[in-house]
Amino acid sequence: MIRFEDVSFAYPDQGSSIRDLSFELERGEFAAVIGANGAGKSTTVRLADGLLRPSSGRVLIDGEDTRNSQVSARARKVGFLFQNPDRQICKNTVREEILFGLRTVRSEEGESALQARAERILAEFSFTGDEEPFALSRGQRQRVALASIFAAEPEVLILDEPTTGLDYRECCHIMDQIRRMNEERQVTVMMVCHDMEVVLDYASKALVMAGGRLLAAGPVREVFRNRELMEKASVLPPQVISLGLRLGDGYETADTPEAMAEAVLAHRKKEGASDE
Amino acid sequence: MIAIQDLTFTYKNGKTPALQDICLSVPSGGFLGIIGPAGAGKTTLLRAITGVIPHHYTGDFYGSVHVNGMDTVDTSLDRLSGITGMVFQDVESQIIFPTVEDEILYGLENFGVPREEIPLRISEALHKVGIPDLLERSIASLSGGQRQKVAIASILALKPQVLVLDEPTGELDPGSSRQIFTILKELNEEGVTIVLVEQKIMLLCEFAKDLAVLDGGHVVLQGETRKVLTQVEKLQSVGVNCPRVTTLSHLLTERIGRQQPVCVNLDEAERMVRGLMK
Amino acid sequence: MNKLFQYVPGNSLIHRLNPVTKIALTVVICAAAFITDHLLFLVCLLAIDLLIGLIAGVAGRTWSIFRGLVKIAAFLFLLQVLLTRAGNPIFWIITDHGLLTAGKVVLRLIVVCMPLTLVLAVTRISDLTNAMVQVLHVPYPYAFTVSTAIRFIPQFLEEMSGIMEAQTARGVAFDQAKGFKKFSMILPLCAPLLISSVRRTDQMAVAAEARGFHLRTRASAYKQYGFSTGDLLTAVFCILLLAAAILL
Repeated sequence: MIRFEDVSFAYPDQGSSIRDLSFELERGEFAAVIGANGAGKSTTVRLADGLLRPSSGRVLIDGEDTRNSQVSARARKVGFLFQNPDRQICKNTVREEILFGLRTVRSEEGESALQARAERILAEFSFTGDEEPFALSRGQRQRVALASIFAAEPEVLILDEPTTGLDYRECCHIMDQIRRMNEERQVTVMMVCHDMEVVLDYASKALVMAGGRLLAAGPVREVFRNRELMEKASVLPPQVISLGLRLGDGYETADTPEAMAEAVLAHRKKEGASDE
Repeated sequence: MIAIQDLTFTYKNGKTPALQDICLSVPSGGFLGIIGPAGAGKTTLLRAITGVIPHHYTGDFYGSVHVNGMDTVDTSLDRLSGITGMVFQDVESQIIFPTVEDEILYGLENFGVPREEIPLRISEALHKVGIPDLLERSIASLSGGQRQKVAIASILALKPQVLVLDEPTGELDPGSSRQIFTILKELNEEGVTIVLVEQKIMLLCEFAKDLAVLDGGHVVLQGETRKVLTQVEKLQSVGVNCPRVTTLSHLLTERIGRQQPVCVNLDEAERMVRGLMK
Repeated sequence: MNKLFQYVPGNSLIHRLNPVTKIALTVVICAAAFITDHLLFLVCLLAIDLLIGLIAGVAGRTWSIFRGLVKIAAFLFLLQVLLTRAGNPIFWIITDHGLLTAGKVVLRLIVVCMPLTLVLAVTRISDLTNAMVQVLHVPYPYAFTVSTAIRFIPQFLEEMSGIMEAQTARGVAFDQAKGFKKFSMILPLCAPLLISSVRRTDQMAVAAEARGFHLRTRASAYKQYGFSTGDLLTAVFCILLLAAAILL
């Protein structure tokens, strides 16, 4: 669905920031781009949407070179959720906001069809539609932005630190909704995220970046268990996985506190440990 | 150092109180972490501690806030800000000037620090946050983490006794976030009282001595960090998740039927599991 | 565009001038441009503008400001030439008078705008405000307002481009529109821009208040802004320039 072929990119007044990037995401994959600050993660997702154009190599979305069409023309196919929802929201009510998005990308469907679409998405996100976006909390506003993107039913969803600045509950809310889209509609997701616990919980694939290059791409758990790779990328793996690696002895496979507790209990049983 | 008694505050034009019946105290040299869902009143509480409420944001103010023995309502904001320094959530609006030097000079000039003392104060503040080489740089050329350090340095230069921070790592990556907390820990060890709001529970649990959990304008839990962390159900009910190693120690306590230590970091968790293996 | 108003660090003759002198020079050049009616004198003033940029070691910035202004000027020139009816026709509807007035208007615009932007390239905003307060006795709150407004410009532009990026990504055709159409598409986006700006301004006010804004006096500034020989020479130059503009 998303394919990078030897992509390099340099900002005008700086050195090259992305070098020889090649990878492919299949339809329905949920990939996280991870790495330290300055690794080129944000640049990469902007290249994927065509907001930036590669200086060499090419980026294909569903087989189409991003340089052959405008970003805005692709918005129906590719949704982009930014870190700051306030840059996206420009209408006075949530309903108007969602309709605004729909009218720009699906204008051919006629007003009544769009209204019906808007009502459906409002129900799905449990909004009444009359809320004023700027009176909502940051997490709620992020959900408004997400709803307006989902309304267009994109095939690809790109997320740039979607949970930054949100509390835990809001974070789960947003991520659960994204997961549903991914599972139910086979939406391909590409996400930049700093919270490795979130990456572990939601993503299936990880693209590990450092210094503008791709260090590795693979299943999330495999990547996190690769100590050398994590160190090279200056990424701190999720707590339970780190703990498993430290303990060794079969604990490496545990990835949640529950699994780890089970492993500890099983171990105790085998060793015949007594509780006093 | 900070004593809050029965504080209830409603913003002008606000319909419901942002804070209700808050009682909270922080000893000199304390390190209090505040956590809670959006809209719980965390920022409002910090504003009340710094005196920005009621001096800048007005409204209905009941109860009292004392900082270093001074009642914040009766004391001018200028005097209060000589004792309490505040770092805001949005670092972009905290930093007023386009260069690092100007930013740090600003407060020093205003508070009339003697001219001969100023260069020393600037270099001390920059050293404390580990950026002595950035003095001449423009803010625009700095990364998010560096900007946050500049914001902290500009407050430290004023030698506050209390440092109040509102989600200082909100926009930062894990590496820079940890650096900021390490700096705060060092300051705390030098005697600065620290109060901060933070969503990154792992850092909070590792660094804060005490925790206060806010929800709907109320303090629902407060006390020594590890003690607060044992209240798993209460925490979950207000939407605060424990670090995963803490969850692990709760699970093991439950399954084994014997109290396990409340772990807040990897080292402790490793020790706990290895202890269970013997 | 973002960097157009940013300070360029340096230690040139111009950098070291007292900020007040730099303001005086700017004002004098502007005044001279409005007083004079000679095309040649305006060209000389333009040369002075460029020379100042060169001496200050900000040739690159000067050139990009100049280039930007020429683009606007070219448009205005065309408009003026086509709309002026007075004078003797030279070609089609173009008259000699039209060409001459258009040339003057456009040159004046460039001559006036150049030093106004250049002064920000060679002076720190804090020095500008401090000197204004210390030497010219401008009340601090006014100086502060001006300085924060200038500090706001790059932030504002950054926010604007962020908003345009976000809107393009959701299908608003900024990347296909040009000129006036693009402008009309920006208008509805002013709401988010305004809200973020108001929020920022309010927080900045608190940030300033919490660091002793109200305690500041005229003597607070750490740096002292004295006058040197360079300032004296510039002052003489200013007087000569003004005299020339009036007498010629």
